[in-house]
Amino acid sequence: MLKRIESLFAESRDLTMHQLQNDEMSIEIAYIESLCDVSKVSDFILVPFTKQQQPFDEIVKVNPVYKPLDDPAKWTDTLLLGFVLIQVKGSIYKLDAARVIRNENPQTMVETVIMGPQIALSEDVIDSINIIRSRYPSPELATEERTVGTTSKTRVLLLYDKRSVDSNVLSMVRKRLERIMIPMITATGQLSRALGDRYTLFPTMIVTERPDRVCNSLQEGKIVLLLQGSMFAIIMPVTFYDFLSAVDDQFDSYWMTRTLLVLRYIAVLLTITLPALYVAIVSYNPELFRVQLTYSIAGSRAGVPYPSFIEVIIMLLMIEALVEASVRLPKYIGSTATTVGGLILGQAAQQAGLVSSIMIIVTSVVAISNFVIPINNMSMAIRFMKYPLIIMAIFFGIAGVTIGLFIYFVYLADLRSFGKPYFRIFSKTPSQSGDIGQVGQG
Amino acid sequence: MNRYFYYCVTIVSMLNLMMFVPYLLIQDRYTGAISSMLLAALIGTTMAFLFTFVMKAFPGKGVPEIFAMYFPKWVTAPLMFFLGCMYFISASIVLNGFAVLINRFLNPDTSSIVVLSLLSLACVYGATRSTLTNIFIVEMGLILNVPLILMILFKSYRNSNLDWDAMLTIAQYWRNPPKLNSYAAAVYLFTGYSGYAIFNRLNPPNFRLRYRWLIPLVCCFIMVTSFFVPIGFHGTEAVASYLYVWSVTADSMTMEYGFLERVVFIFLLLYLNLSLVYTANVWHIAMEFFKSCLPKAKPQIDPERTPLSNWVIACILGLFTVVTSYLLDEKQDLRLATNWLILRVCVEVISVLFLFVLSIGAGGKKQST
Repeated sequence: MLKRIESLFAESRDLTMHQLQNDEMSIEIAYIESLCDVSKVSDFILVPFTKQQQPFDEIVKVNPVYKPLDDPAKWTDTLLLGFVLIQVKGSIYKLDAARVIRNENPQTMVETVIMGPQIALSEDVIDSINIIRSRYPSPELATEERTVGTTSKTRVLLLYDKRSVDSNVLSMVRKRLERIMIPMITATGQLSRALGDRYTLFPTMIVTERPDRVCNSLQEGKIVLLLQGSMFAIIMPVTFYDFLSAVDDQFDSYWMTRTLLVLRYIAVLLTITLPALYVAIVSYNPELFRVQLTYSIAGSRAGVPYPSFIEVIIMLLMIEALVEASVRLPKYIGSTATTVGGLILGQAAQQAGLVSSIMIIVTSVVAISNFVIPINNMSMAIRFMKYPLIIMAIFFGIAGVTIGLFIYFVYLADLRSFGKPYFRIFSKTPSQSGDIGQVGQG
Repeated sequence: MNRYFYYCVTIVSMLNLMMFVPYLLIQDRYTGAISSMLLAALIGTTMAFLFTFVMKAFPGKGVPEIFAMYFPKWVTAPLMFFLGCMYFISASIVLNGFAVLINRFLNPDTSSIVVLSLLSLACVYGATRSTLTNIFIVEMGLILNVPLILMILFKSYRNSNLDWDAMLTIAQYWRNPPKLNSYAAAVYLFTGYSGYAIFNRLNPPNFRLRYRWLIPLVCCFIMVTSFFVPIGFHGTEAVASYLYVWSVTADSMTMEYGFLERVVFIFLLLYLNLSLVYTANVWHIAMEFFKSCLPKAKPQIDPERTPLSNWVIACILGLFTVVTSYLLDEKQDLRLATNWLILRVCVEVISVLFLFVLSIGAGGKKQST
């Protein structure tokens, strides 16, 4: 066995192969040292083999931690996942001794809440399942394991509640998982792209780190994907509403959370339309506003020497650069960047007559409203949405903005998340009264 | 899913403003508009009820499939083509009218052909989507726009400049016999059910339409509003001098609080949305009718990929609209709309009665087997 393994691997120092001998028999073991926990190897193999309280071949047969592995084609893959291969009297066994380096007891960083669970999913899928199972102690919870990525061979776990899951969606997810042909998958975002989110304007899967969101989704019959090495889970199928509802909505004061929900929708509308409306109103239809407001806008623009869309492009360029910079910078310098960019530069640009003060307000409203969206991947998608509208506003004014919004709505209504409608109200219908469009499926 | 049916009813009756319905009614305000409206309410509601009966008799089937059950292809194909044209023309009139309105009120510098091309592109995109998507578009369009439109209507009724005496004066002419022109215009408001010629495909087999009394209620309210409110604002005589009478009416109102002062802008933007939704929808229906003429046509309510035939047909429709508007001026548009409304009355009565007879036959068959 050892010679064969040696020929399979490129020259690697951490591939460890031993031939051991005691009074009764000789065994061969092989493992990759850097992937394995050496104490486990000695506890399970070296110690019982040398103590000889029981014949080693019997131990291997009785103890279920040793699993037989017959197919020599699987040797390399098994070794690379942190297993130890043992050859005892001609038959091969594998032993899981993997040592996974991961973040310990992670806290939620991306999707934070004030009251509510603060622990996030782990980068190790086994720990994540531990966290999920302890919150969702149901025998109906099914887990399937597969690997994705032709080189990375990343482990993916598919979780669903067997009772409430939609079988059409489940088979669609399985089919799409099998179809993935990408060499490397290291982040959940890559996986969601490979599952069909590549060119859609809005995400059709939620990427979250919150175990409570995962459990709620499982209970609603959704499917959860966990990826080894990433502390984020993918939830599908989802609707547009799911992206705008935070987990707090379920336990904070009822009326305030409803108000906040409305606020979030208004914020989304504002962040998408406001720069386009500014261009349209200033350049095409200043008569739209009441006279006093029109005068104050025109007055603040008096010193600006170029058309409104150049102003909008300058300011949006700056704010996007600022947001991008505060992500890229180390945490300690990040706050400096926002202070310099937001406060000082904005003020100075307005006083220098490069942009109007109304435009500064528009820009900050756009940026702030964008951060209101609870789910990060939706927030990123929405960030892009304002640019096509600005182009429509430049060429067609306010009618163009309205047409652009109409196209967005058609697009949203046309989007399906794994065959489920994405954008509609009251999507939960009692099962006995048939839903619209159920003829084709049934 | 009752609500989707009422969405279709509401959007068509709200869109009457773009079909010159108030203009045509107001032209006959002394000579039979009121009695035509009463007659239209009666007959329109009856037609709608008959059609709902047809829908119930053929669950999950659109009009093309119902015809295909009884007649060979060479009979149905020209019929379906004709019906498709009927649907298509209405939406094109609406879109054309709106391109003119945008040119008048919002962008006087942009030519209306350019605006119309843009509107057509948006609607072509909407029309090529699946049937299921189209019904969602109607839903979202109405939910977003109707509250604001209702607010405008409410404000118009509460406006101190509204002259109730003028409205009462006109209402006294109800004894004059109805006229075909104004009857055709008024009955258009009640034809929202016609969208279900295609959307009936979406209905699950156990579908039961409830709250049918909403049809006359909603439509009569909108009809009375769209006829009387302009008269109240402009007086009995001046009201007849405007073609797009409701845009002028909306411009007579102001809002005292908030960013905007002139109601007409909100009104136009809301109606722009509604017109786009309506056009996308009706073009989709027309497209489905045309598709049913093709050999090997198979209705799909929500295909994963948009078939190429969708794009081809919808693009032809859009192109046709733009070319027509290039050739016709506004007066010809108005005449086209009037003639279309009158032709539509005949087609409606014949086709609904015919379908009703078929559905009675189908009901009888079901009981016998």
